[in-house]
Amino acid sequence: MLVIFVRTLIIFLVLVVVMRLMGKRQIGEMQPFEFIITLIIADLACIPMADLSIPLIYGIAAVLALFLLHQLFTVIEQSGNLPKKILSGTPSVVINKNGVDMNELKKNNLGLDDLIESMRSQGYFSLDDLDYAIFESNGKLSAFENPERRDAPSSMPILIVDNGKLQVKNIKVLQDEEENVKRFIIDSGATPKTTEVLTVDGNGRAYFKKKNEKFVIARYPLKEGVKW
Amino acid sequence: MVKSIISMIAVAIILTCGVIYETTFIRGEFREFTVATDTLYDKVDAKTANENDVYVLQKKWVETKDKLNAFISHNEIKEFDLWIAETVKLVAAEMWDDALSKIEVIKELEEQVPKSFEFSFANVF
Repeated sequence: MLVIFVRTLIIFLVLVVVMRLMGKRQIGEMQPFEFIITLIIADLACIPMADLSIPLIYGIAAVLALFLLHQLFTVIEQSGNLPKKILSGTPSVVINKNGVDMNELKKNNLGLDDLIESMRSQGYFSLDDLDYAIFESNGKLSAFENPERRDAPSSMPILIVDNGKLQVKNIKVLQDEEENVKRFIIDSGATPKTTEVLTVDGNGRAYFKKKNEKFVIARYPLKEGVKW
Repeated sequence: MVKSIISMIAVAIILTCGVIYETTFIRGEFREFTVATDTLYDKVDAKTANENDVYVLQKKWVETKDKLNAFISHNEIKEFDLWIAETVKLVAAEMWDDALSKIEVIKELEEQVPKSFEFSFANVF
Protein backbone atom coordinates (compact mmCIF):
# COMPACT_ATOMS: atom_id res chain seq x y z
CA MET A 1 0.00 0.00 0.00
CA LEU A 2 2.86 2.35 0.85
CA VAL A 3 4.54 1.48 -2.44
CA ILE A 4 1.28 2.18 -4.31
CA PHE A 5 0.92 5.49 -2.48
CA VAL A 6 4.47 6.59 -3.32
CA ARG A 7 4.09 5.47 -6.93
CA THR A 8 0.81 7.40 -7.23
CA LEU A 9 2.49 10.44 -5.66
CA ILE A 10 5.38 10.31 -8.13
CA ILE A 11 3.14 9.90 -11.18
CA PHE A 12 0.88 12.68 -9.92
CA LEU A 13 3.76 15.12 -9.34
CA VAL A 14 5.33 14.34 -12.71
CA LEU A 15 1.96 14.93 -14.41
CA VAL A 16 1.42 18.21 -12.52
CA VAL A 17 4.82 19.50 -13.68
CA VAL A 18 4.21 18.33 -17.25
CA MET A 19 0.71 19.83 -17.38
CA ARG A 20 1.99 23.14 -16.03
CA LEU A 21 4.74 23.16 -18.63
CA MET A 22 2.24 22.39 -21.37
CA GLY A 23 0.45 25.63 -20.62
CA LYS A 24 -3.23 26.28 -20.97
CA ARG A 25 -3.80 24.41 -24.20
CA GLN A 26 -4.39 21.00 -22.63
CA ILE A 27 -6.82 21.86 -19.89
CA GLY A 28 -10.42 22.84 -20.12
CA GLU A 29 -12.24 24.47 -17.25
CA MET A 30 -10.22 22.62 -14.63
CA GLN A 31 -7.13 23.44 -12.63
CA PRO A 32 -4.13 21.43 -13.87
CA PHE A 33 -4.07 19.10 -10.86
CA GLU A 34 -7.82 18.49 -11.10
CA PHE A 35 -7.41 17.63 -14.75
CA ILE A 36 -4.67 15.13 -13.89
CA ILE A 37 -6.84 13.48 -11.28
CA THR A 38 -9.68 13.15 -13.77
CA LEU A 39 -7.21 11.72 -16.24
CA ILE A 40 -5.87 8.94 -14.03
CA ILE A 41 -8.71 8.16 -11.68
CA ALA A 42 -10.74 6.43 -14.38
CA ASP A 43 -7.93 3.99 -15.16
CA LEU A 44 -7.17 3.40 -11.51
CA ALA A 45 -10.75 2.43 -10.89
CA CYS A 46 -11.12 0.35 -14.02
CA ILE A 47 -7.98 -1.80 -13.98
CA PRO A 48 -8.58 -3.69 -10.70
CA MET A 49 -12.27 -3.84 -11.57
CA ALA A 50 -11.70 -5.59 -14.88
CA ASP A 51 -8.51 -7.56 -14.14
CA LEU A 52 -9.35 -10.30 -11.67
CA SER A 53 -5.69 -10.98 -10.89
CA ILE A 54 -5.28 -7.57 -9.26
CA PRO A 55 -6.63 -7.23 -5.72
CA LEU A 56 -9.28 -4.53 -5.46
CA ILE A 57 -7.36 -2.92 -2.63
CA TYR A 58 -4.66 -1.79 -5.09
CA GLY A 59 -7.20 0.40 -6.85
CA ILE A 60 -8.79 1.60 -3.62
CA ALA A 61 -5.42 2.58 -2.14
CA ALA A 62 -4.43 4.50 -5.27
CA VAL A 63 -7.78 6.30 -5.47
CA LEU A 64 -7.55 7.24 -1.79
CA ALA A 65 -4.00 8.46 -2.38
CA LEU A 66 -5.26 10.66 -5.20
CA PHE A 67 -8.04 12.00 -3.03
CA LEU A 68 -5.50 12.85 -0.35
CA LEU A 69 -3.28 14.60 -2.89
CA HIS A 70 -6.24 16.50 -4.30
CA GLN A 71 -7.24 17.76 -0.88
CA LEU A 72 -3.63 18.59 -0.05
CA PHE A 73 -3.15 20.55 -3.25
CA THR A 74 -6.45 22.37 -2.73
CA VAL A 75 -5.37 23.44 0.75
CA ILE A 76 -1.89 24.47 -0.46
CA GLU A 77 -3.41 26.35 -3.38
CA GLN A 78 -5.74 28.27 -1.10
CA SER A 79 -2.98 29.12 1.36
CA GLY A 80 -1.57 32.02 -0.66
CA ASN A 81 -0.85 33.61 -4.00
CA LEU A 82 2.55 32.06 -4.61
CA PRO A 83 1.42 28.44 -4.14
CA LYS A 84 -1.62 29.18 -6.31
CA LYS A 85 0.63 30.63 -8.99
CA ILE A 86 2.95 27.62 -8.89
CA LEU A 87 0.22 24.98 -8.88
CA SER A 88 -2.42 26.50 -11.14
CA GLY A 89 -0.67 29.32 -12.97
CA THR A 90 -2.04 32.80 -13.42
CA PRO A 91 -4.49 34.28 -15.89
CA SER A 92 -2.84 35.63 -19.03
CA VAL A 93 -4.00 38.77 -20.76
CA VAL A 94 -3.55 37.81 -24.39
CA ILE A 95 -5.40 40.75 -25.92
CA ASN A 96 -5.03 44.20 -24.45
CA LYS A 97 -5.51 47.75 -25.72
CA ASN A 98 -2.43 47.30 -27.93
CA GLY A 99 -3.84 44.21 -29.56
CA VAL A 100 -2.68 40.60 -29.40
CA ASP A 101 0.16 39.95 -26.98
CA MET A 102 2.21 37.27 -28.72
CA ASN A 103 4.60 36.92 -25.79
CA GLU A 104 1.75 35.97 -23.46
CA LEU A 105 0.48 33.46 -26.00
CA LYS A 106 3.95 31.92 -26.32
CA LYS A 107 4.36 31.73 -22.55
CA ASN A 108 1.27 29.52 -22.44
CA ASN A 109 2.28 27.45 -25.45
CA LEU A 110 -0.63 28.87 -27.39
CA GLY A 111 -0.67 30.04 -30.96
CA LEU A 112 -2.65 32.77 -32.63
CA ASP A 113 -4.87 30.11 -34.19
CA ASP A 114 -5.70 28.79 -30.69
CA LEU A 115 -6.70 32.29 -29.61
CA ILE A 116 -8.82 32.83 -32.71
CA GLU A 117 -10.46 29.44 -32.19
CA SER A 118 -11.29 30.24 -28.56
CA MET A 119 -12.67 33.61 -29.60
CA ARG A 120 -14.81 32.06 -32.29
CA SER A 121 -16.29 29.63 -29.79
CA GLN A 122 -17.42 32.68 -27.81
CA GLY A 123 -18.92 34.37 -30.86
CA TYR A 124 -16.09 36.81 -31.67
CA PHE A 125 -14.55 36.54 -35.10
CA SER A 126 -12.30 39.55 -35.38
CA LEU A 127 -9.32 40.21 -33.12
CA ASP A 128 -10.48 43.79 -32.53
CA ASP A 129 -13.93 42.62 -31.39
CA LEU A 130 -12.37 42.46 -27.95
CA ASP A 131 -10.71 45.10 -25.82
CA TYR A 132 -9.32 42.44 -23.53
CA ALA A 133 -9.07 38.67 -23.71
CA ILE A 134 -7.82 36.66 -20.78
CA PHE A 135 -6.90 33.01 -20.71
CA GLU A 136 -7.85 31.98 -17.19
CA SER A 137 -5.68 29.52 -15.29
CA ASN A 138 -8.21 26.79 -16.11
CA GLY A 139 -7.68 27.36 -19.85
CA LYS A 140 -10.99 29.14 -20.42
CA LEU A 141 -11.09 32.40 -22.38
CA SER A 142 -12.72 35.41 -20.76
CA ALA A 143 -13.62 38.16 -23.16
CA PHE A 144 -14.16 41.89 -22.64
CA GLU A 145 -16.03 43.12 -25.67
CA ASN A 146 -15.07 46.24 -27.60
CA PRO A 147 -18.35 48.24 -27.52
CA GLU A 148 -17.53 50.01 -30.78
CA ARG A 149 -17.50 46.72 -32.63
CA ARG A 150 -20.81 45.43 -31.28
CA ASP A 151 -22.89 46.34 -34.30
CA ALA A 152 -20.11 46.53 -36.85
CA PRO A 153 -20.83 44.89 -40.20
CA SER A 154 -18.75 41.82 -40.15
CA SER A 155 -17.21 39.31 -42.41
CA MET A 156 -15.05 36.40 -41.43
CA PRO A 157 -11.41 37.58 -41.01
CA ILE A 158 -8.69 35.37 -42.42
CA LEU A 159 -5.29 35.04 -40.85
CA ILE A 160 -2.68 36.18 -43.36
CA VAL A 161 0.40 36.62 -41.14
CA ASP A 162 0.89 34.62 -37.98
CA ASN A 163 3.88 35.80 -35.98
CA GLY A 164 6.03 36.71 -38.97
CA LYS A 165 4.91 33.79 -41.12
CA LEU A 166 2.83 34.29 -44.24
CA GLN A 167 -0.10 31.88 -44.41
CA VAL A 168 0.16 30.94 -48.07
CA LYS A 169 -2.99 28.82 -48.04
CA ASN A 170 -5.04 31.72 -46.67
CA ILE A 171 -3.60 34.17 -49.20
CA LYS A 172 -5.29 32.03 -51.85
CA VAL A 173 -8.64 32.84 -50.24
CA LEU A 174 -7.86 36.52 -50.87
CA GLN A 175 -7.34 35.53 -54.51
CA ASP A 176 -4.23 37.65 -54.39
CA GLU A 177 -0.52 37.20 -54.91
CA GLU A 178 1.98 36.79 -52.08
CA GLU A 179 3.89 39.76 -53.49
CA ASN A 180 0.84 42.04 -53.11
CA VAL A 181 0.48 41.00 -49.49
CA LYS A 182 4.15 41.72 -48.87
CA ARG A 183 3.78 45.10 -50.57
CA PHE A 184 0.80 45.91 -48.33
CA ILE A 185 2.88 45.03 -45.28
CA ILE A 186 5.84 47.14 -46.42
CA ASP A 187 3.52 50.07 -47.20
CA SER A 188 2.22 49.73 -43.66
CA GLY A 189 5.75 50.28 -42.36
CA ALA A 190 6.79 46.72 -41.57
CA THR A 191 8.22 43.58 -43.09
CA PRO A 192 6.55 40.14 -42.98
CA LYS A 193 9.03 39.14 -40.26
CA THR A 194 8.25 42.12 -38.07
CA THR A 195 4.51 41.61 -38.51
CA GLU A 196 2.95 39.78 -35.62
CA VAL A 197 -0.60 39.61 -36.91
CA LEU A 198 -2.39 40.44 -40.11
CA THR A 199 -5.97 39.41 -40.69
CA VAL A 200 -8.18 40.53 -43.54
CA ASP A 201 -11.94 40.19 -43.74
CA GLY A 202 -14.22 39.99 -46.76
CA ASN A 203 -14.76 43.75 -46.74
CA GLY A 204 -11.02 44.42 -46.93
CA ARG A 205 -10.79 45.42 -43.30
CA ALA A 206 -7.32 44.51 -42.06
CA TYR A 207 -6.14 44.04 -38.49
CA PHE A 208 -2.45 44.77 -38.61
CA LYS A 209 -0.02 44.55 -35.72
CA LYS A 210 3.67 45.19 -35.95
CA LYS A 211 5.94 43.73 -33.28
CA ASN A 212 5.90 45.74 -30.03
CA GLU A 213 3.46 48.27 -31.44
CA LYS A 214 -0.26 48.93 -31.05
CA PHE A 215 -2.45 47.31 -33.68
CA VAL A 216 -3.97 49.39 -36.46
CA ILE A 217 -7.03 48.88 -38.59
CA ALA A 218 -6.23 49.41 -42.23
CA ARG A 219 -7.90 48.81 -45.56
CA TYR A 220 -6.57 45.99 -47.64
CA PRO A 221 -7.02 46.51 -51.38
CA LEU A 222 -9.04 43.44 -52.26
CA LYS A 223 -9.38 42.72 -55.94
CA GLU A 224 -12.64 43.69 -57.49
CA GLY A 225 -15.40 41.17 -56.95
CA VAL A 226 -13.52 39.36 -54.18
CA LYS A 227 -15.76 39.01 -51.17
CA TRP A 228 -16.64 36.31 -48.66
CA MET B 1 -10.86 24.48 4.20
CA VAL B 2 -11.61 22.83 7.56
CA LYS B 3 -13.58 20.11 5.79
CA SER B 4 -10.67 19.56 3.40
CA ILE B 5 -8.17 19.27 6.24
CA ILE B 6 -10.41 16.88 8.19
CA SER B 7 -10.99 14.64 5.18
CA MET B 8 -7.25 14.74 4.42
CA ILE B 9 -6.37 13.66 7.94
CA ALA B 10 -9.03 10.94 7.86
CA VAL B 11 -7.73 9.49 4.60
CA ALA B 12 -4.12 9.79 5.78
CA ILE B 13 -5.05 7.81 8.91
CA ILE B 14 -6.86 5.17 6.84
CA LEU B 15 -3.88 4.80 4.52
CA THR B 16 -1.36 4.68 7.37
CA CYS B 17 -3.38 2.03 9.21
CA GLY B 18 -3.75 0.13 5.94
CA VAL B 19 0.01 0.22 5.34
CA ILE B 20 0.81 -1.00 8.87
CA TYR B 21 -1.85 -3.71 8.79
CA GLU B 22 -0.86 -4.92 5.33
CA THR B 23 2.84 -5.12 6.17
CA THR B 24 2.42 -6.92 9.49
CA PHE B 25 -0.34 -9.20 8.20
CA ILE B 26 1.57 -10.35 5.12
CA ARG B 27 4.79 -10.86 7.07
CA GLY B 28 2.92 -12.81 9.77
CA GLU B 29 1.12 -15.07 7.30
CA PHE B 30 4.30 -15.87 5.42
CA ARG B 31 6.25 -16.45 8.64
CA GLU B 32 3.79 -19.19 9.62
CA PHE B 33 3.81 -20.70 6.15
CA THR B 34 7.62 -20.65 6.05
CA VAL B 35 7.74 -22.77 9.20
CA ALA B 36 5.53 -25.39 7.51
CA THR B 37 7.68 -25.31 4.35
CA ASP B 38 10.89 -25.70 6.36
CA THR B 39 9.47 -28.75 8.11
CA LEU B 40 8.63 -30.37 4.77
CA TYR B 41 12.04 -29.42 3.36
CA ASP B 42 13.81 -31.16 6.26
CA LYS B 43 11.69 -34.29 5.79
CA VAL B 44 12.30 -34.42 2.03
CA ASP B 45 15.99 -33.82 2.61
CA ALA B 46 16.03 -36.78 5.02
CA LYS B 47 13.98 -38.77 2.47
CA THR B 48 11.34 -39.49 5.11
CA ALA B 49 8.54 -37.39 3.66
CA ASN B 50 5.36 -38.84 2.19
CA GLU B 51 2.42 -37.49 0.17
CA ASN B 52 0.48 -36.59 3.31
CA ASP B 53 3.25 -34.24 4.51
CA VAL B 54 2.91 -32.27 1.30
CA TYR B 55 -0.90 -32.29 1.60
CA VAL B 56 -0.46 -30.72 5.04
CA LEU B 57 1.58 -27.94 3.44
CA GLN B 58 -0.98 -27.60 0.66
CA LYS B 59 -3.80 -27.34 3.18
CA LYS B 60 -1.85 -24.72 5.10
CA TRP B 61 -1.30 -22.80 1.87
CA VAL B 62 -5.03 -22.90 0.98
CA GLU B 63 -5.85 -21.40 4.39
CA THR B 64 -3.14 -18.74 3.97
CA LYS B 65 -4.03 -17.78 0.41
CA ASP B 66 -7.68 -17.22 1.29
CA LYS B 67 -6.52 -14.43 3.57
CA LEU B 68 -3.80 -13.14 1.25
CA ASN B 69 -6.06 -12.83 -1.82
CA ALA B 70 -7.04 -9.33 -0.77
CA PHE B 71 -3.45 -8.09 -0.79
CA ILE B 72 -1.36 -10.17 -3.15
CA SER B 73 -1.61 -10.36 -6.90
CA HIS B 74 -3.55 -13.49 -7.80
CA ASN B 75 -0.86 -14.45 -10.31
CA GLU B 76 1.66 -14.75 -7.47
CA ILE B 77 -0.77 -16.91 -5.53
CA LYS B 78 -1.12 -19.15 -8.56
CA GLU B 79 2.68 -19.63 -8.59
CA PHE B 80 2.53 -21.14 -5.10
CA ASP B 81 -0.41 -23.37 -6.13
CA LEU B 82 1.54 -24.78 -9.07
CA TRP B 83 4.84 -25.41 -7.27
CA ILE B 84 3.12 -27.12 -4.33
CA ALA B 85 1.03 -29.30 -6.66
CA GLU B 86 4.21 -30.42 -8.43
CA THR B 87 5.89 -31.19 -5.12
CA VAL B 88 3.01 -33.54 -4.20
CA LYS B 89 3.65 -35.69 -7.28
CA LEU B 90 7.43 -35.72 -6.86
CA VAL B 91 7.31 -36.70 -3.22
CA ALA B 92 4.79 -39.46 -4.03
CA ALA B 93 7.24 -40.76 -6.65
CA GLU B 94 10.11 -40.40 -4.15
CA MET B 95 12.03 -38.16 -6.55
CA TRP B 96 13.74 -36.39 -3.66
CA ASP B 97 16.15 -34.14 -5.55
CA ASP B 98 13.44 -32.84 -7.86
CA ALA B 99 11.10 -32.37 -4.93
CA LEU B 100 13.79 -30.44 -3.04
CA SER B 101 14.32 -28.08 -5.96
CA LYS B 102 10.57 -27.39 -6.10
CA ILE B 103 10.49 -26.63 -2.38
CA GLU B 104 13.50 -24.34 -2.85
CA VAL B 105 11.40 -22.34 -5.31
CA ILE B 106 8.54 -22.16 -2.82
CA LYS B 107 10.97 -20.94 -0.15
CA GLU B 108 12.34 -18.32 -2.53
CA LEU B 109 8.81 -17.12 -3.29
CA GLU B 110 8.06 -16.94 0.43
CA GLU B 111 11.03 -14.63 0.78
CA GLN B 112 10.42 -12.49 -2.29
CA VAL B 113 6.65 -11.93 -2.16
CA PRO B 114 6.58 -10.11 1.21
CA LYS B 115 9.62 -8.11 0.09
CA SER B 116 7.64 -6.75 -2.86
CA PHE B 117 5.46 -4.87 -0.35
CA GLU B 118 8.38 -3.23 1.40
CA PHE B 119 9.13 0.41 0.78
CA SER B 120 12.30 0.33 -1.29
CA PHE B 121 13.76 2.01 -4.36
CA ALA B 122 13.38 -1.17 -6.42
CA ASN B 123 9.69 -1.52 -5.54
CA VAL B 124 8.80 2.12 -6.10
CA PHE B 125 10.46 2.31 -9.49
